[in-house]
Amino acid sequence: MKKFYLWLALAAVAHAFALCAAVFFQIWNAGNNVKPKIVSVTLVSLPALAGGTQELSDGEGDAEEIPAQVLTKPEPSPAVETVQQPVVKEPQLQPSLSPKILAEKSPASQPANNQLQKALDRIKQHVDQKTPPPQPVSVSTLNSALAKLQQKVKSSGAENGGASGGRGVGGGEGKGYGTGGTSKSYKAAVASIIQKNWAFSGTLLKNSNGMAVYVRINILPDGTISQIIFDRPAVSEYLNNSVKKAIEKSSPLPTLPKEEGSHDVWIGFVFSPEGIEK
Amino acid sequence: MFDSKIGVFGLISDAGPVVLFVLSVLLSFSIVSWAIIAFKFSYLRKSLKESRVFLDFFFDVYNVEKVFTESEKYKHGSLPKIFRSGYIEYKALDDMGNSRQAKARIARAIKREANNENKNLSTLVPFLATVGNTAPFIGLFGTVWGIMTSFHNISLTQSASLAAVAPGISEALIATAAGLAAAIPAVIGYNYFTQQISTIERDIEEFSPEFVAALLNEP
Repeated sequence: MKKFYLWLALAAVAHAFALCAAVFFQIWNAGNNVKPKIVSVTLVSLPALAGGTQELSDGEGDAEEIPAQVLTKPEPSPAVETVQQPVVKEPQLQPSLSPKILAEKSPASQPANNQLQKALDRIKQHVDQKTPPPQPVSVSTLNSALAKLQQKVKSSGAENGGASGGRGVGGGEGKGYGTGGTSKSYKAAVASIIQKNWAFSGTLLKNSNGMAVYVRINILPDGTISQIIFDRPAVSEYLNNSVKKAIEKSSPLPTLPKEEGSHDVWIGFVFSPEGIEK
Repeated sequence: MFDSKIGVFGLISDAGPVVLFVLSVLLSFSIVSWAIIAFKFSYLRKSLKESRVFLDFFFDVYNVEKVFTESEKYKHGSLPKIFRSGYIEYKALDDMGNSRQAKARIARAIKREANNENKNLSTLVPFLATVGNTAPFIGLFGTVWGIMTSFHNISLTQSASLAAVAPGISEALIATAAGLAAAIPAVIGYNYFTQQISTIERDIEEFSPEFVAALLNEP
């Protein structure tokens, strides 16, 4: 057994040696590792942000042509304009709104980060084509852009119904459907209810171009939806069906406000993969 | 202990007491296993070699006294040992007239020495089997314990980020790696020695009657 103890001591020494070798190898290896340079990447350049913010704040395609006052203070517009605005609208630009705004507008677009990223890239390209070379941006420019965005968020929260309600194809006053008198708060409430019942995932669509459904619904005084008219259905039957199911599921809606009297009202909506516009 | 926390030893330095205990047990298992492997390897190798040389001499020379003298040179060989024990018994029975009784006594002496040799050959080998079977489980125990601790720490830090989860799991997995590192050589050694010991035992079983016959001058 003496020989065994000798081997035991040798094995212990060999283990210690192996551990020491491993430690030295680790230290040597750590010393040889070259740390990669850290490159900070800004996802959105500031000029594009400023342009994009202005462009996206109203949801229109050509933001440069629209005065800032119109963006910040939406006023009831004539009937002709309300009908034409949704036609000009480019729904694919909307996903580049800030995530918070999107969350308010469309829960369906929340998980669609890829779609958001694609839309962001498209906006960048669009801005690069239309805007002059980027200028140095000061802190004041950034602050003003942020202030505009905040103002827009507030106004869209409070007056979104009124501001965009005029744009609804079916609900336009000019078409005589009688939605002009419908209170903004009621429209907002209806839109919110339909939005909750709308189960739609934009990620299932290969292309969101032209994917907008223009719908008007007739609401009886007791809140029942008596009629659903697709003024302009989308190419995707999936989107059309989801809109129809959402509206049917939302019936009955809250009873009409007293100021509406005893007659029914028409309210128009534009459903796009990015959300509902009233 | 280490400037950099990157690497195996950095993780070990951060491990909990249970994981450290498991690692130390596995380290001691590994040391003992390697000692047994080295010891048995040299012992069995010598035994086989000496037995082979002795057998060649045994079949070449028919004089048992010469064979006995030659067997004195081989201290580790199993077959020379067995022959020596038989020869000693044979010399003790010189004055005995009854050859049947003498044969039985010589055979008994050879059998006793063969059993003793089998025991010597098998000593410490079962420990290798024990290490081979239990070390992975001991390592697994350390890993499970480390992961439990890691998840407990995650709940305390209220963070489930990869940076919070990965180090704990990584340090826990070292125990499994150590268990495997201890078990694999032990299992290989156990299988090798079992095969070698069975070869020697077969030789002993085969040549024991030959020795008895040679000592009694039987054809």
